Amino acid sequence: MSTMFADTLLIVFISVCTALLAEGITWVLVYRTDKYKRLKAEVEKQSKKLEKKKETITESAGRQQKKKIERQEEKLKNNNRDLSMVRMKSMFAIGFCFTALMGMFNSIFDGRVVAKLPFTPLSYIQGLSHRNLLGDDTTDCSFIFLYILCTMSIRQDAYRSMACQAVPCPHLGSEPANPGPPKWNVGT
Amino acid sequence: AAGGGKRSRLSRSWPTGPSKSLSGARCCGATRPGRTRTGFCNLGQDEFLDVIYWFRQIIAVVLGVIWGVLPLRGFLGIAGFCLINAGVLYLYFSNYLQIDEEEYGGTWELTKEGFMTSFALFMVIWIIFYTAIHYD
Repeated sequence: MSTMFADTLLIVFISVCTALLAEGITWVLVYRTDKYKRLKAEVEKQSKKLEKKKETITESAGRQQKKKIERQEEKLKNNNRDLSMVRMKSMFAIGFCFTALMGMFNSIFDGRVVAKLPFTPLSYIQGLSHRNLLGDDTTDCSFIFLYILCTMSIRQDAYRSMACQAVPCPHLGSEPANPGPPKWNVGT
Repeated sequence: AAGGGKRSRLSRSWPTGPSKSLSGARCCGATRPGRTRTGFCNLGQDEFLDVIYWFRQIIAVVLGVIWGVLPLRGFLGIAGFCLINAGVLYLYFSNYLQIDEEEYGGTWELTKEGFMTSFALFMVIWIIFYTAIHYD
């Protein structure tokens, strides 16, 4: 196995580890706290209640009914916002850790061609894909480009498969969808 | 594990709660001989979007391997992936499942569900196989 391919696999491995580390940090700081569990249960309960109410409401429903629904929607929105605030502290911790890690990996892989691209990137992407590399071959891939691609795919897949049972998954738009019962049960 | 619970295996639940479902003749009625799609007819909205998401990831892995092995290079490879990814999913939910796209925010919402993640995964797999087979 050549050095270049070994680097490619190493970067994918680093990406998997950092994705798991991010989820681990989020679990320690957020998912296992009582506040988060309480808020999550509250959001699920309110979502179901609101959905049931919306299904039974008719066009001729009184103003009072509609006002009640608006109040419940407002309450749900506030709880979702509190849920987001609780997750925010893990984001700071992850950001701090990853800044340090990125600095370390950048120095390790500085100037090394870690993969060959099967295409020539657009000129504004070459600043990322050919970062700190010698020569003019634009199909040479730098660490940062491959790492970003890996992170975009692996982190999102890890989040989707593991964290989604703890966190309402945003599907349509930025508002979390109705959490519903657990979707995936992840084994050990 | 996320959510504080330990499970013995990876399993999937198909809830049939009060959330919006794919029920109705339009979904359950379009069956081929000897085949049932009642599992899909009981899917909630979020569960169906999960199916779309993971189907996209599988397509990305498969195409990444094929493109890397052939090899297919350049913009043609990227365009081919985008067309096949979007096309296969569109045929899947509109022709095979015959769902009402408006229930899920329209064709565009279903098309873009998980697209960027699958694109990134496709690029990673494509690069890995291309590097391993043609430059190793």
